[in-house]
Amino acid sequence: MTRRVFVCRCEDVTLDEIDHAIARELTTIEEIKRYTGLGTGPCQGRECMVPLARLLCERGLAEPATVQPFTARPPTEPVTFAALASAQPPYTGAADDDKDPEAAR
Amino acid sequence: MSKPRPLLELASPLPADEAVTLEFDGAPIPARAGEPVSAALLRAGVLATTRSPKYRRPRGPYCLRGECGSCQVRIAGQPNLRACTALARDRLAITPQNRWGPRGLDPTGLIDQVFRGGIDHHHLVVRPRIANAVMQKVARTMTGFGTLPDPATSAAAEARQVVHTPTVLVVGAGAAGRRAARHLEAAGVDVLCVDRRDRATLEVAAPGPLPAELLRAGVFAAYPHEGLWTAASDPLEAPLELHTIHPRAVLLATGARDPLLPLANNDLPGVVSARGLHLLLTRSGSRPAVPVVVIGEGDEAAILGEALGAAAVVGPEEVVEIHGGDAVDGVTLKGGRRIACGLVALAPIPAPTHELAAQAGITLRFDGHGFAATSDERGRAIVDPAMPQPWTLWVAGDLRGYMGPTAAAADGEAVAAALLESLEGAR
Repeated sequence: MTRRVFVCRCEDVTLDEIDHAIARELTTIEEIKRYTGLGTGPCQGRECMVPLARLLCERGLAEPATVQPFTARPPTEPVTFAALASAQPPYTGAADDDKDPEAAR
Repeated sequence: MSKPRPLLELASPLPADEAVTLEFDGAPIPARAGEPVSAALLRAGVLATTRSPKYRRPRGPYCLRGECGSCQVRIAGQPNLRACTALARDRLAITPQNRWGPRGLDPTGLIDQVFRGGIDHHHLVVRPRIANAVMQKVARTMTGFGTLPDPATSAAAEARQVVHTPTVLVVGAGAAGRRAARHLEAAGVDVLCVDRRDRATLEVAAPGPLPAELLRAGVFAAYPHEGLWTAASDPLEAPLELHTIHPRAVLLATGARDPLLPLANNDLPGVVSARGLHLLLTRSGSRPAVPVVVIGEGDEAAILGEALGAAAVVGPEEVVEIHGGDAVDGVTLKGGRRIACGLVALAPIPAPTHELAAQAGITLRFDGHGFAATSDERGRAIVDPAMPQPWTLWVAGDLRGYMGPTAAAADGEAVAAALLESLEGAR
């Protein structure tokens, strides 16, 4: 195996690739995510976000008091399309907008 | 391929009525009924669940508790299921994913050797365009996640939605969540406690009894604008259920998980989470069959080292490199000392599981080890004023910054008491 230091295993982002991004003046969590793909795999940043935040703070590129993670969009756990498709009105979208969500209770 | 080396062994013989046989890639693997599939795989020394997307390196189970993606396999005709949360039953068919070519002989493994200096995917074979088109086609064929589920096993037809309207939703049944839910139940509050883990895992994962009302489902989203939380049942358990939850108050106790320690070859099969491994051993009645090296931070690394019977416990700053190929075989330390081992257990300081808190609008603060949910001293969450709050939000345990199970349980109790007081005040 070639010697590689991984920061994000899901998308195979190594420390060298983070250094490469920083050398191109991409120095925030969001910019590095967009450039390297870090955090966009199956674990959605669970493993890599903290090592990256720590690295940016250690190098003086981020402040611990202000550094924030990238947006955590749904789903945060795996969900099948079959489960989502079982939703009934008023949970199914635009056509039901005029209905009262209280009716589902 | 040489015969795999068992990494774990059973602490006592398996009773005949608990013995089942799994099929991994067509080969039989003995297992205990109801244990996590990963336990059986590690006992059989089977690590090759997938290959990495870019360098095509072999990958195996890592976190062992449903957080990471490297044990995702196809199980019973369904793609992208984690071997560490799937429970063993007889004849369960498991196949690796993201593999190309015959078993054990994936030629794409050479990519790791060929591109020793790394792959610059921004520029590699982007021009000329014709070469780019060919490259895209090859890459798409070689890599990627599972193919569609088998129609015969599809649970789609039986899937159903279940609507819940509890007074309090407790997310997480770890040390803090279970204690909080029990406190609220004892006060007669209508409380729904949700956790994606199976009951037997929860029983060994944290101290204290579990609440009476416990739903096994993964809470996957908070929708403040719609006043809604959603959860999905385990896809291997019938019927498949989508849970839609409309609570008056929410207590988040989502705990903490392991970030990766950036070390050389920290991705090799056999590099696992120390906390995940300890839980798996307890859950499955197993013990390590090979020397274990713990690489960890903080006071708990030594405790975990002792619990795992580790050959050595070292800090990340002492490590030069982890060695191995299809499985880890040693760790080199500064000064040149090399320790032979069959498992490397990483024990970083856990990071709060912040994603649901963030979706609900709770303000986060970096504590040096992760993004912790902020709250007042009673546990009432501090929220973004721009986010609608159709409920009151409370946070307890490791989500407020890693504190460990004893402190988390006490915190769950205290926050539940404050929540109860606020419910009574609102009445």
